[in-house]
Amino acid sequence: MFKSIKSMALAAVTAMMMAGVAHADITVYTAGPQDLIDKLASGFTTQTGIKVKVFQATTGKVMARVESEASNPVVDVLISASLDTATDFAKRGWLVPYTSPNAAKVPDFLKTETAVAQGVSALGIAWNPKSNTPKPTEWADLTKPEYKDLVNIPDPAQSGSSFELTAALQGTDGWKLFDDLKANGAIVAGANADALNPVLQGAKAAVFGAVDYIAMGSKANGENIDVIFPASGTVIAPRPAMILNWSKHQDEAKKFIDYMLSDEGQKAVADDYLMPSRTDIPANRPLISDLKVLKYDAKAIYGKRKDTLKEFADKFAK
Amino acid sequence: MKANGISGAAPAAWLATLGLVLVVAVPFAAIVLQAIFPQIGQGSFAAPFSQFYTALGDSALLAMSRNTLILGFSVVLLSALLAVPLGVCRALYKVPFAAFWDVVLLVPFMIPPYIATLGWIMTLQPRGYLQQLAGFNMAPVLFSLFGMTFVMAMNTFPVVYFAVSRTVEAVGSRYADIGRVFGASPARAFWRITLPLSAPGLAGSLMLVFAAAIEEYGTPAALGGRTKFQVLVTGIDLRVSDWPIDLPGAAILSIVLVAMSLITFLLQRWILARRSYETTGGKPQNKDKRPLGALNIPVLIAFAVVAFLATGVPLLAILATASSKTISGGLTLGNLGFNNFLAVFKDSAGALQALGNSIALGVGTALLTGLIGVLAAYTTVKTRYRGRMLLDIMTILPNALPGIVVAVGLILAWNMPGLPFTPYNTGLILLLAYCCLLLPQPVRYTTAAFQQIGDNLEAAARVCGASSFTAFRRIMLPLVFPSLAASMLLVFAVASRELVASVVVAPVGMQTIATFIWRQFEQGSIGLGMAMAFITIVITTLLPLCVIGLMRRVSVIQD
Repeated sequence: MFKSIKSMALAAVTAMMMAGVAHADITVYTAGPQDLIDKLASGFTTQTGIKVKVFQATTGKVMARVESEASNPVVDVLISASLDTATDFAKRGWLVPYTSPNAAKVPDFLKTETAVAQGVSALGIAWNPKSNTPKPTEWADLTKPEYKDLVNIPDPAQSGSSFELTAALQGTDGWKLFDDLKANGAIVAGANADALNPVLQGAKAAVFGAVDYIAMGSKANGENIDVIFPASGTVIAPRPAMILNWSKHQDEAKKFIDYMLSDEGQKAVADDYLMPSRTDIPANRPLISDLKVLKYDAKAIYGKRKDTLKEFADKFAK
Repeated sequence: MKANGISGAAPAAWLATLGLVLVVAVPFAAIVLQAIFPQIGQGSFAAPFSQFYTALGDSALLAMSRNTLILGFSVVLLSALLAVPLGVCRALYKVPFAAFWDVVLLVPFMIPPYIATLGWIMTLQPRGYLQQLAGFNMAPVLFSLFGMTFVMAMNTFPVVYFAVSRTVEAVGSRYADIGRVFGASPARAFWRITLPLSAPGLAGSLMLVFAAAIEEYGTPAALGGRTKFQVLVTGIDLRVSDWPIDLPGAAILSIVLVAMSLITFLLQRWILARRSYETTGGKPQNKDKRPLGALNIPVLIAFAVVAFLATGVPLLAILATASSKTISGGLTLGNLGFNNFLAVFKDSAGALQALGNSIALGVGTALLTGLIGVLAAYTTVKTRYRGRMLLDIMTILPNALPGIVVAVGLILAWNMPGLPFTPYNTGLILLLAYCCLLLPQPVRYTTAAFQQIGDNLEAAARVCGASSFTAFRRIMLPLVFPSLAASMLLVFAVASRELVASVVVAPVGMQTIATFIWRQFEQGSIGLGMAMAFITIVITTLLPLCVIGLMRRVSVIQD
């Protein structure tokens, strides 16, 4: 009872304070989890009085919206799930250069002049321990007979991070791993969520290259699922946040980036099982320093994205 | 105004035109312009037609078009095979528990197709519910062209069933009886008299099924992906959601899809234009139905099997998933829990807000499409306005426009700089999107109804001194009202769970039922999404039933 009175009083005070200072709203489009952006938005509003309007979808849908709005854009801050979009937008000259003071503890490879990562996910093997298969430790384990017809691969054409894994592994070893997977009955199964669901029910034993935080969240909810990061290396998928240069609220947008990178904002990121982009924030999951990250030339692999996707699709087509 | 003896409903024609232009022509024009001028999004008219060659020369286009047609025809065929016999039985004979089957067969309309597909996958895949219960799975059957056809037909055949049972009922056995008097056998009377007279309803509903099948996204995406069976809609979706976004390519593929739908429509029109289908002549209908006799049990079994497959299996799968604590826990007593339902009622992640939004939008869409639909159908069937063909085409266009394309078209059209007023980024844009997508339903249903009303009824009213408006309101509207009401309830159900357009066009900060469910799936909370789906199905089934019950009580419609 006391607690609710207290929070009501707090809300009233905040509302009064907010009424005193007229602030513009900012609009954030995000490809990140809905509850993460909800937490960030409400925390930011409590702290600054600036309201946040949110649109959440997958990277593809967010980009379709940005593209069709291009003649009269609405978005101030964009959080994508693919570094590629940040590079592309920068090339088009659509981004505002900004380095947040809170970005000091963000490693260099997670920030550019115009974008900074909100958080990072990594790709791993999502494996169902009840599937009567031995626990895989390496990507190549999934080509063994025990996993015959039991492996799902998220479609690299639909999932940006799955593409990066495909390209990186192909860059180190050629297509052999994928030929073996195909020979072992692995199938390409939609985007990330479509690939994971059959593994939860047990129709499949493992996802080859699952986005880790969704599987970790499921595990926390009691699902039988483990995420394994192969020692030979994997790829990470930073989620760049950027300010668009058409934004009429660039100061407020910068404050939002600051908040996203603050202790509180980064804790919210960690609570959703993403790696915080600041190295000094603890998280209940393996961090970048715990993983071996495959080295690859992002520019080169995105340069031949179409060819790679085509070759992959031809391989897995019937 | 052109004198044609009976019609003086100029306001109807103008209102219908205005509505259609706003709801259909504007987004469609935006799509066509996008296809022609690739950079129109940036406000530039540069390089017109430059994308046509690459998009149309793409070898994948031929395969996608072929697959689209194959899928469309398969779904129509299976829907007709299931629905026509059942519908005819329902219309002409005393089927046991007839009212119950009607309600049960309404439910597939309320099950979002992507949810039904997911339900089937979770039931039939290895270690799915079927295997957990019966020890075997049917994955090879499901992940095939047949599986796709089956799942889609289960979702769409009620359209045909209701159209056939209502139109055959309206035609009644009276005309066939006259045939019998003149010596025709029962079968001959049915084939030569009842069935041909029911053709408008049948052809209209089959066309809706075809259009729905070639426009459907969820099922081909979920089931066709594995067999590499790509259709135009999945191709379009890939172009608008795969970075870099290819809006012109998507627009061009959409135009191919629209062309397909238009050709079906023109075919249907051509077939129907060669005959008259007037059966409502002002004389009372004899609605006495005959007993089935020895066929009682077989017909009952047929209804039960089809109803179980169309309604029972998806509902049970949804319920099982929603009331499981974890997916990996399977169907065990210990895994049973109602946390997901509780979470919805506790408004977690804005569930209740989403429900409210969708129901309001559903009601709004039903009212608006009902109004525009009945006016447009009246204008095209009962008046001789020049340009009524154009109106008719506008009502059919949305059939072929995939949700995602309507969404992009609406954004392109309404987010242009310098508009004095824009519905963009408000709930109104969703209303426009739903109206555009669902307008064909009331139009098709009421067109079929108008086609069966003799011109002499309206003429008689005018002779007796009624103004054209009064004649429309007192004579025509009540006669088509049952069809109109049925289609509006259908629109309500479908609009309240529309997915694809909602995901792209939803204003910032606003959730609908479908976007809520979709987000839960994306984030791995399948149970919560399914709980929301189940609650939605219950609400969207009960609400129309209450409305129908209420209307019967005040005798707006008769049984």
